[in-house]
Amino acid sequence: MTSIGWSLIEVASQLLERREREAVLGDLTEADVSSWRGVLDVLGLVIRRQAMHWKSWRPWLAAFGLALPGSLLLMGFSVSVSQAYQRLLGPTVFGITVGEGFTLLLCNVLLLICWSWTGGFVMGSLSRRTVRVSAALSFLPCMFCLARFRVESLSRFCLLLFLIPAVWGVHRGLQIAQIKLRSALILAVAITVLTIPAWSRRGSWIPNWALSWPAWYLVATSWRAPAVKEVKRWRVN
Amino acid sequence: MLGEFEYLLITAAAGLGDNAYGAAIREEIEATTGRRCSIGALYTTIDRLEAKGLLSTWMSDATPQRGGRAKRMVRVTPNGVLAAKDFYDTVTRVSRGASWAVNRAANKAGSLL
Repeated sequence: MTSIGWSLIEVASQLLERREREAVLGDLTEADVSSWRGVLDVLGLVIRRQAMHWKSWRPWLAAFGLALPGSLLLMGFSVSVSQAYQRLLGPTVFGITVGEGFTLLLCNVLLLICWSWTGGFVMGSLSRRTVRVSAALSFLPCMFCLARFRVESLSRFCLLLFLIPAVWGVHRGLQIAQIKLRSALILAVAITVLTIPAWSRRGSWIPNWALSWPAWYLVATSWRAPAVKEVKRWRVN
Repeated sequence: MLGEFEYLLITAAAGLGDNAYGAAIREEIEATTGRRCSIGALYTTIDRLEAKGLLSTWMSDATPQRGGRAKRMVRVTPNGVLAAKDFYDTVTRVSRGASWAVNRAANKAGSLL
């Protein structure tokens, strides 16, 4: 087997779990198969493993019910918050007036952070093993919108204001399966209260609920497993 | 009831005894059936049979001929033996009267005479 072929096999095998990778690479070394067959064998196993994860509803919900629509809606909301901030501040930093506009902006910033964090958390905790696919699906609309963003007064990175809390949420979601019921309830109620100003606007309830359901999902999952300790650690394979 | 490939895997593992592990089982299946056995089919089937309690697996120590990598050893459990026996009996029963099975029995009898 050539060194390039073996390198390809080792790269492909990174998608397998540690123990399985060791057994498979050992088997291929022992059998002394051709590079091409080795790569096909490893990729075949990787595809079968990934396909098995998608038998459950969870990865589908995480990818197509949350990652894809969530990133699109949060990008739109990021731009909206940036524009509101720009209108309120104007050219000078100290020209800010504390009033209705400021309160609304503050509410929206908080809402953006809460929506992004809960969305990321649920994405990470719903399907840990397919989180790479979910992340890729959420980055696709980002790339598309970044390439086509044409608002001159705003930097195109305003689209990605949601990214930091979302990544933080995914990270926490991968670490812990659920949060305490009280924390989940406070978060869900806070998000719902923060969306109240938008209730009067027609047509906004769909995006509101599309972004708010992860918070209530967290409440439901915490409610269903109240006996679990403060946080349930994922079993590390 | 077991599937065809599951039966082949259990039978190969049982035949190999203490030397049953991924590469050896694969070689055995390929040699006896003359068909290619992919690593993907092998390891996903081993996992499925282990989840059903028909096989048990563990990682052995690393060996130099495998580049210092461990083997995934396989052992057929008593339930696995029963399931394989059940499959074999079913196939034998259902084959009675089939032309290929009758001819084979007749040929066998002829060769004995």
